[in-house]
Formats: sequence, structure tokens, C-alpha cells
Amino acid sequence: MAHYLVFLEQRGGCISKVSVDTWNRVQQQAAQEGESVSGFVGGPLKPTALGELYGNGTIYHAQDEALSLPSETLLCRILSALVAEEGCTGIVIGATAAGRRLAPYLAETLHASLLGGCAGGSLHSELCRRYIYSGLVLAAYRPEASIRIFLQGREQSRRSFFSTDRPHCVSFDASPFFVPHENLLIRSVTSGNSRKSIAESAIIVAGGRGMGGKDQFVLLEELASLLGGSVGASRSAVDEGWRPHSDQIGQTGKAVAPDLYIACGISGAVQHLAGLSSARTVVAVNSDPHAPVFDAADYGIVGDVREVIPAFIGAVKEVLQKK
Amino acid sequence: MNIAVCICQVPDLPSAVAVVDGSLDLSRVAWVMNPYDEYALEEALRLKERFPGSAVIALAAAPEAGKELLLKALAMGADRAVEVCSSTLQDSFQTAWVLAEAIGNIYGQELPDLVLCGRESLDLQNASVPAMLAGMLGMPFAGSVTALRADGESLEMEREGDDGLETLEALYPLVISAEKGLNIPRKTGIRQVMEARKKPLEIVQASALPDPLVRFAGAEPVSLKKACRFVETPSELAGLLYRGGFFKTAQE
Ligand SMILES: Cc1cc2nc3c(=O)[nH]c(=O)nc-3n(C[C@H](O)[C@H](O)[C@H](O)COP(=O)(O)OP(=O)(O)OC[C@H]3O[C@@H](n4cnc5c(N)ncnc54)[C@H](O)[C@@H]3O)c2cc1C
Repeated sequence: MAHYLVFLEQRGGCISKVSVDTWNRVQQQAAQEGESVSGFVGGPLKPTALGELYGNGTIYHAQDEALSLPSETLLCRILSALVAEEGCTGIVIGATAAGRRLAPYLAETLHASLLGGCAGGSLHSELCRRYIYSGLVLAAYRPEASIRIFLQGREQSRRSFFSTDRPHCVSFDASPFFVPHENLLIRSVTSGNSRKSIAESAIIVAGGRGMGGKDQFVLLEELASLLGGSVGASRSAVDEGWRPHSDQIGQTGKAVAPDLYIACGISGAVQHLAGLSSARTVVAVNSDPHAPVFDAADYGIVGDVREVIPAFIGAVKEVLQKK
Repeated sequence: MNIAVCICQVPDLPSAVAVVDGSLDLSRVAWVMNPYDEYALEEALRLKERFPGSAVIALAAAPEAGKELLLKALAMGADRAVEVCSSTLQDSFQTAWVLAEAIGNIYGQELPDLVLCGRESLDLQNASVPAMLAGMLGMPFAGSVTALRADGESLEMEREGDDGLETLEALYPLVISAEKGLNIPRKTGIRQVMEARKKPLEIVQASALPDPLVRFAGAEPVSLKKACRFVETPSELAGLLYRGGFFKTAQE
């Protein structure tokens, strides 16, 4: 019988949204098949941190401060020991930057099949279907090892799961896994970056070269904050120095999964669209009616962003006031 | 400092990849060095320039890699290039295994001080080989590095984490994967390409592969096309999106 281990990532004492979604989805899928689930989280937690986690099973919590900034090496030692002790057949990890680095390291250590970004996100399907070649090909992969590692993004995590059951939390002694001279340490994280990560945003307003300059992004900031979303960018806008690389969406940037994506002054190159295969609804604003971005959009407005965006902001405000 | 750099090639244009009867047809593809591997190689070359007596070896584990990829690495400034031949590599695990074996054969007991890879290859985007290789070589792994400062003893690195900029400290040996932003790779001219032809380019044979952990089981082409509905005015769009339920997270 399958037994899963969910790796729960924490941010400032709270469980990250991706991990909450992942946990609840695994609980739901496991419950249908009568399977069991455990979790692991490291670092000090706020008292309410586990409040959004439903279902059964045990969550192992290691309090150590050092585990709020764990290296891949340290986490790999802890998780592989837990997997062996619990006899896990599946490990589920949220596809965050940290999760993506950890998963292959763990796969090698455990000799496990790594299934990343599988469409549908079922733990029980025989094949993992995922996009390759900039989203132009959907390939199927078959896991061959007895342990599987699932790396899952937000898009598959929307279904919410409610249950009156709650997992119980057990404290975990991580001290045997610390070595005196760790040769890789994460020393610090400069937060202050309180902006919501685009990878987790439900609404993204993105700008490209057609925005015409750094200053014009103020319009997109305004629209994004009005809608409760965040601002993204094409590579051209990043290369121009208008936005940081962390805002870049596409093949060499982030893959995003918002409910609504508004592309402003973006031509729609295949490398940009590669980051959008999981976006639900795409809106494009472009002055060129033949811009390829319209082929990938649900709604389009042909026009100059400098006119359309301010007018759209006004219209959104109006609609919101009426509600 | 001994540095190994793992490189691979990817299609110049993904649209040249075709699917025929559930199999990939790459016959129309023009190949280029994976952009992330260029960052890795460039960083290795910069370290070599800073630490006299260093050597950079570029390794490619792709049966179809061809000489061009390795010649480009030599033209950029690698001292040696090694192509590792094997039967078709099925997954990241086999690829990492072949590279780990070649590194073991080339360097013997003394592992290289650094192994540099690209963050991921742009074709399949698994981002798995660098971490798996680190595991096989028994080295720690620092992924997606955007800045690197090295001295003889230790390394300081930066990367974009989920919460902001992370600073890392490490000792040698180490496997690093290079993210965009690490550097701007140098261009090569005719002279460098001529010189590259005089440098050693070896072909080695991998031994029998271990079983893959994941196996390719078919493919189908994808159309990104949607039926776009053109809207005349911004207020019409706002109304449509409001009724579509998209403004729930909006400010009150
Ligand atoms: C290996 C590789 C990887 C890449 N990875 C990425 C990636 O991750 N992400 C990415 O985005 N790109 C990536 N690219 C680059 C990609 O090919 C495009 O060059 C890039 O996406 C173009 O950005 P853009 O649409 O902002 O600019 P452009 O292509 O220059 O388009 C600007 C658009 O704005 C419109 N416009 C101009 N003025 C106005 C106006 N006033 N009002 C309204 N519209 C206007 C124009 O009609 C045009 O459609 C990659 C390329 C390569 C080769």
C-alpha cells in the first residue's frame, strides 16, 4: 500500500501556500485509495502554522533554527532517513525554487523516479505527461523505480479539500543529521522582498518591450495592485533593465499558473508562451493585430498600451464600485 | 583549480521539433549550446583566468552531440573537450551516471574542485542532471547560482530563492548549476575557432548503462492556439472579466 511523505516548506514560520495545497491534495487522493500520508517540516513555526492542513497522518516537526534555511544536502539526509524509516513509496514536493533543487538530489540518493510537472497531478496515473520543448510537445514518461518523487506546481493544487480530521504533529529530532563542518551553508536571505512571488499569483499583469520604458510599468503596478495580483515581464523587458530577472516569465524565466494573465505589449514569442501553458485565461493588449500573442489569448484588445491600460484601470475601478 | 564543465546542446528553435507517430523527430533541428551551459563554461573560464595553473575540461554526454558543440567549448577557452559515447540516454539519471563515470575516469581519485553545469537544459527542462551528478560524485550541490566569488579556500554564492536573494557559503569540492545573470558569455571569433582545432578533443566510451529511473513512453504535438475573442473597449473587457469571476481578489 502506498505511503506518502509530503515535504512542507515554511516561510517565516508559516507553511507556504504551495505546500498547504500539496498536502491537502495528497490527503484527498490518498483517502480515496485508503493510503496513508506523513509530512515533514523544519524550523520554528508559529502556533497557527498547521491550521490549514486537513486530513490524517503525522507531521514530523524539527524545531531547529538551522532548518529554516536548510541546504539541499541537509534536507536530503533528513528526508531520505524518514523515507526509509516510514517505508514511504511516494514523496511529494511543491515545485518552488527550493523544491526543484531538492527533488533530483533526493531522487539520486533514494534511487527514485522523479516525476516533475505532470499534467493532472494524479499520484495514481501510470504515466506522467509533461510539456517539453517550450510547451510544443506533450511527452509521457513511465516511472521505473519503486519509490516515486512527485514535484507539483500550483496549477494542480486548486481543488480544495476539507475534512474535520487534522493531522497530528510530532516533534522530530534532527540533531543526528547535522554534521560539525557542513561544507555548504545558506547564510542569509535578504527578504524585504515582500512582493508576492509571481509563481504563486492568481492574477499576473505582464509587460513587454511594447511598454516602451521602465516608467510605464507604474501603470502595470497600479493595475496589479488594484486586482490583487503581481507584475511579470517578458525577457525583452528584463534585458532592457526595466524589471528584475525574477519577474521574467517564459522558458528561461518562471512558469506561472495564474487564473488570469494580462499580457501588455508582449509579442508572444514561443519562448514566452512556454511559461504560460498553465495559465487559465489569457488577455492580450497589443497595437499589432497580427501579434502572435493573440493566437494564445482568450481575449484581445488591439491598441496602444499607453491608452488602453489607463482606460482599463478606470473601467475596473468603475466595475468594482458598482459591486 | 581543476574544473569540469558539463555541456549539452538544445534545438535553436523548438518549433523545428516534430512528432511522428508518437516519436520525436529531431531531423530538422539546428543545434546550439544550451544557454545555461554557456554561463557555466564562462564562469569556469573566468576562474581559470583568476587562478593560474587551473584547467577546464568540457564534457558532453550526448551520442549525437557532434564535434561542433565541443569545438565551441574549446573555442571559448576550455583546455580539453571530452565526448562521452553511450547507447541512447533514457533519462537524467543515465545522463548524470555517464558524466560521473567520465569524471571519475578523467580525474581518478582526486575529484575536480568544481563541477559546473547549466541550471537546466532548455529542451526537456528537467533540471535534474546537476543535482544527480553531485549525489553520484558525493559532492554538495549549489543550484541556480547567479553570482560567485571564489578564493583558494572557499566560495560565496548568491541565488534567487523563493523569498528573495540567498547567500551561500561553501568549501571545495562542489557541484554548481549556473542560472541566467551569472555572467555574459564571451563571443568567439575565427581565430579562437582555428585555435580550438589544435586542442585535444577526445571521444570516450561509457560502460554499460544502469537501468533508467524514468522511461520515455511517447509524445504528442501541442497546439498553443486559442480562439481569441477581440474586444473593442477596455470597459467591455472589464465587464467580461468581472462576470468571469476574476476580480474576487481585487481591492474593495
Ligand atoms: C533560448 C531563448 C530563451 C528565451 N527565453 C525567454 C523567456 O523566458 N521569456 C521571454 O519572454 N522571452 C524569452 N526569449 C525571447 C523571446 O524569443 C522574445 O524575444 C521575447 O519574448 C520578446 O519580448 P517582447 O514580446 O516583450 O518584445 P517584442 O518581441 O519586441 O514585442 C513587443 C510587442 O509590443 C507591441 N507593442 C509595441 N508598442 C506597443 C504599444 N505602444 N502598445 C501596445 N503594444 C505595443 C509590438 O506590437 C510587439 O508585439 C527567449 C529567446 C531565446 C532564444
